[in-house]
Amino acid sequence: MKIVVCLKQVPETNQVKLDPVTHNLIRQGLAGRINPFDRHAVQAALDLKAQVGGEVIVLSMGPNDNEYCLREGLAMGADRAILLSARAFAGSDTLATGYTLSQAIRKIGAVDLAFFGRQAVDADTGQVGPIVAEFLGWPQLTLASQLTWTDQGLQGVRRLGALAQTLAVPLPAVVTATRELNDPGYLQPRQIKAGFQQPILTWNEVDLEADPARLGVAGSPTVVRKILAPQTKTVPTQYLNPDPQAAVAELLTALQAKNLL
Amino acid sequence: MTKIPEVWIFAEHQQNQIEPTVLQLISKAQAIAPTFKVVAVLLEAPDQQLEQTLAAYGPDQILAVKQSQLEQVADVEQAMILQQLVQARQPNSFLFGATALGRSLAPRLQAKLQTGLTADCLDLYFEDELLVQVKPSYGDNIMCEITCPERRPQMATVRPNTFAAVPVEADQVCQEIEVLTDLTWPKVAHFDILNEQVIPTPPASLAQADRIVALGRGAADPASVATARQLTAALNAQLGVTRPLTDDPQFAVSNQIGQSGQTVAPELLFCCGISGAVQFLTGITQAQTVVAINSDAQAAIFGVADYGFVGDAKAFMTALNHALLAKNA
Repeated sequence: MKIVVCLKQVPETNQVKLDPVTHNLIRQGLAGRINPFDRHAVQAALDLKAQVGGEVIVLSMGPNDNEYCLREGLAMGADRAILLSARAFAGSDTLATGYTLSQAIRKIGAVDLAFFGRQAVDADTGQVGPIVAEFLGWPQLTLASQLTWTDQGLQGVRRLGALAQTLAVPLPAVVTATRELNDPGYLQPRQIKAGFQQPILTWNEVDLEADPARLGVAGSPTVVRKILAPQTKTVPTQYLNPDPQAAVAELLTALQAKNLL
Repeated sequence: MTKIPEVWIFAEHQQNQIEPTVLQLISKAQAIAPTFKVVAVLLEAPDQQLEQTLAAYGPDQILAVKQSQLEQVADVEQAMILQQLVQARQPNSFLFGATALGRSLAPRLQAKLQTGLTADCLDLYFEDELLVQVKPSYGDNIMCEITCPERRPQMATVRPNTFAAVPVEADQVCQEIEVLTDLTWPKVAHFDILNEQVIPTPPASLAQADRIVALGRGAADPASVATARQLTAALNAQLGVTRPLTDDPQFAVSNQIGQSGQTVAPELLFCCGISGAVQFLTGITQAQTVVAINSDAQAAIFGVADYGFVGDAKAFMTALNHALLAKNA
């Protein structure tokens, strides 16, 4: 089975700050790492390969330093890595990203499954997996919390609120992984070292035979107009008596006045 | 005559119940687009009557597709039906709840329509016919204003429990219900539903609770948890926890409040032994009245609290249990 896992590199921390003058993100000192949900996607691909055989290819789009997330995928056990990197890809929103990844999956050819993390922890959209599925004309199993390979094919469980659905998915398909799906565990130093010794193939827009109008800024319908610091709720806190009994009496009177009890 | 712009809302439902976010979106759309036509789009089986629930919230129109194939339907098929409706009627905007289904279906439709989609919005407003979508990024540490200037419809998924659902007066109830029964769509590869099972304690119950007692690391010992359970029973409240407590097998992610758990919107929230990390605070921004109990007077939780008690969480909960027992006796 030929399995592609799409990876996103995200900042090491979500504690980002805005420049007080320009209101741009201060990116300085933000190290990159693999999106945590994507590690579950890689693990799911490796587990399937262990069961049925085949090949696991990790794929990422971004600048050259995006190779870090691919190295982590290789260290986990992926067979090879492809980086989609070109100026033409810069400024892509989810639609343009989905198009670019889907072109790469076409170029890889004969792919049976494409895995994604359920969403990235920086932008939190979870949109790229379903968009790629649509562009490839494949079915999708989003938010997979269990996955099994049987004689009948691929089956998985997803949660829609209170409802747990068990689904049978024909291949080829897109699957997005939740953290309930598996436990990727920690990497050993020798695995990390091995990950850094493998070559990474780089493709640009010409390699992908992509329509330039659907790439990068040109292919992105959405515009980030402004970045703001979140508004914090500022209520004056009314401190209660330090004695628990007195504090409770004070609180109950106040809550009853507000019709909250 | 130019057509009145339409704001569509996808009327997601499950187990024959309209998803609460849908009703919140109908009320919000009416508030931000009073001159537009607010349309709830419902895909249901012939024996369902979910338009009655929607009508009470006063959309200008309900567009219901009622067909037997909709008893069990895959995301891919729903996206194809919605694509047909959008292409025939050209709405200005199309809003979805940022639920598990909304977040699977909306991007699929977006790709079919080659338009923009903004995920997990916390606010929406119109500038003329341009929808300004406010979404958090980097785990709610910054907010972005996103627009889709040229393509239509403008699509967004909106975080559950961000807006209030307000039923309308009897004379405002929606009268315009259009029912379609003969749509066809091509056969494509899609998943088959082998089994559906309702999990007895739905994670949504915490998200919809009016009263919540939340525990953090400062109230994680078994005695504190037991006292908190008595308190939830006395207050008719739900029990919530912070991320670290989900390592304890008695709590699951469905009990967790915060960025990686549930966003809650209770009238009354007790935060016991919770320091107030950002990932927790982002989950409680819609709580109306917050009572913080923490032994550290410098804890960040006091920054968002209406009432604060600096001291031991278990002692406070015990005193509150006694007072509530006495009051109800």
